[in-house]
Amino acid sequence: MHTVSRKTERLVNLTIALLATKRYITKSEIFRTVDGYEGSDESKERMFERDKDDLRNLGIEIEVGTFDPLFEDETGYRIKPENYQFQLGEVNAQEITLLSLAAEAWRGASMGQSALSALNKLHAIGIESDSELLLDLAPAIINQDENLAIAISAITSKTLLSFSYLNEELQPQSRALEPFAVTSRYGHWYIFGNDLDRKANRLFRLDRVSGDLKLQGKSSAFEIPSDLDVNSAFATASGASHAIIFLRDGRGLNLRSRGSQSAATSAPAGWQEFKMEFRDHERFIEEILWYGNDVIVSEPADLRIEILNRLRVGVVTYG
Amino acid sequence: MAKTQSTPVEKAARLLDLVPFISTHQGIALSELAEEFNLSVSELLSDLNTLWMCGLPGYTPLELIDLEFESGYVSIRNAEVLQRVRLLTKQELVIILLGLDILRSSLDPKREDLQAAISGLTRRIKEIVGNVATASPIVDSTHRAIITQAIASRMDLTVKYHSTIRDAVAERVITPLELSLDLGFEVLNAYCQSAEGFRTFRLENMRSVELAGSSVNVSEPSDPSDYQWQLLIKSRFRTSSERFRSTYKPRESSAGEQVTVNSFSQDWLLRNAVSTLASVEVQLPVSARSLIAEKCQQTLELYENWVFPN
Repeated sequence: MHTVSRKTERLVNLTIALLATKRYITKSEIFRTVDGYEGSDESKERMFERDKDDLRNLGIEIEVGTFDPLFEDETGYRIKPENYQFQLGEVNAQEITLLSLAAEAWRGASMGQSALSALNKLHAIGIESDSELLLDLAPAIINQDENLAIAISAITSKTLLSFSYLNEELQPQSRALEPFAVTSRYGHWYIFGNDLDRKANRLFRLDRVSGDLKLQGKSSAFEIPSDLDVNSAFATASGASHAIIFLRDGRGLNLRSRGSQSAATSAPAGWQEFKMEFRDHERFIEEILWYGNDVIVSEPADLRIEILNRLRVGVVTYG
Repeated sequence: MAKTQSTPVEKAARLLDLVPFISTHQGIALSELAEEFNLSVSELLSDLNTLWMCGLPGYTPLELIDLEFESGYVSIRNAEVLQRVRLLTKQELVIILLGLDILRSSLDPKREDLQAAISGLTRRIKEIVGNVATASPIVDSTHRAIITQAIASRMDLTVKYHSTIRDAVAERVITPLELSLDLGFEVLNAYCQSAEGFRTFRLENMRSVELAGSSVNVSEPSDPSDYQWQLLIKSRFRTSSERFRSTYKPRESSAGEQVTVNSFSQDWLLRNAVSTLASVEVQLPVSARSLIAEKCQQTLELYENWVFPN
């Protein structure tokens, strides 16, 4: 417990000393004046190196420089106040409320600790939230998957990830990924990045990862493309195909909301004709079959024949 | 309250955040401050005692941070250097970015001022972290807010609910019990007055949610899993397992996988069985097999009697 406090004290004292100084201060000055650097020169050096890393991991950037550019002086250190302080600039009550609500959404989820620390900082600004705004909104990101937190940490530190991904046959496949972005779609979380084995950008659904995502190697190991567009990753997975289907009155609600109803139609009474777009052939067949005798596929013919074949097999298997 | 003992670095980070917070909330009660930082009062006291030992080099009373908290209220002096609110880490910025996305989608579209404020904040954050996170929420946050309010004040709700099993939208009066998670999806466990039984409603399938009258007491639900089917998954193991909401793990062999699935709805099981005709065989009960045969036959007849162009 005592050593915990000593280390904590030393980190805070080092931060204060580096933040208060207007000039660079040298390592020997730090060891002489900042409380907590004890022992041999070598152990002080080690302590200092570790402390610098720890502060950097907290997002506190220590600047390295020399006193006088004309002379090869001993290296000095300082923290520039503008690199230490809240970086979103001036914020008003409405903005504080929105930022707080956004962080609140994570309460109790896998990123709860980061959310709490963000809220502490936002509240420390000392501007009262606009309480009227809080009444009718309850945004929530309900995610208990620790892998989302690891993914975000890998993206922000630009660290390589390795993991085991279950394919359609539920066989685990090793993947190595430069993670670029996370996104939620259709109620699932996805991680998007450069798959090093496939040498292409790929999307992975986080709940299909078997076990934990693992950070590999050093941070800042790659660059995230500046023109990144995660949404396009969903659209270009494969080209779209088209189908014409008939829906029984009032049925196939999800298909109706996705498709477009044809104006001129050969549909018999009690049925409507819809044009549909689909990407995954097999998934689309399964979706059509889900609706049983409330949905009929008209075109393309090969799709219709495939469905007919499956139904015949069904009659034989179960009849 | 805090679940695990903080590491020295986590504690240092918290001390750096405590200083500006106390500075803008001079005289705050210990209990209130502990709650803000999700600490017990004794953990907070340990933090404040450590902070008290920190200051500028020299470490005489002139340089040390001056804290007063014996009265039960906390105030701070001589801490100007740390008074700035610390920057948000990239991790924190990313979660805020995702939170803003969720928020944007549930705002009243008429509140253009709020939409503009969110866009402005999003732009500022993306300048720092890049376009690395987006979220498309499937649940309307205003629905969640009304449900939370109804549970807290013991009110019934009128919901327009899209039942994917019935393939229909219907209005129901329900008594909400609790919000929970079902395989990652947000659900409301409730007593359905219309169906006179306990039901689970997925939040994303609610088309509208309104407060109704005060609710009557309902007892805890019994196990809703009335139907149990035994399946043999022969291919498309991941998709088929996901369809039947059966949890899966890595497979060693290439043989078929025998699983037992439960549902309160026989219709849901039947729809899934027809959907996965090519990859799953339902083995038991025998009555289920006849149901599937019948559904296949009906659908097949429909196709055979349909007049297709060309």
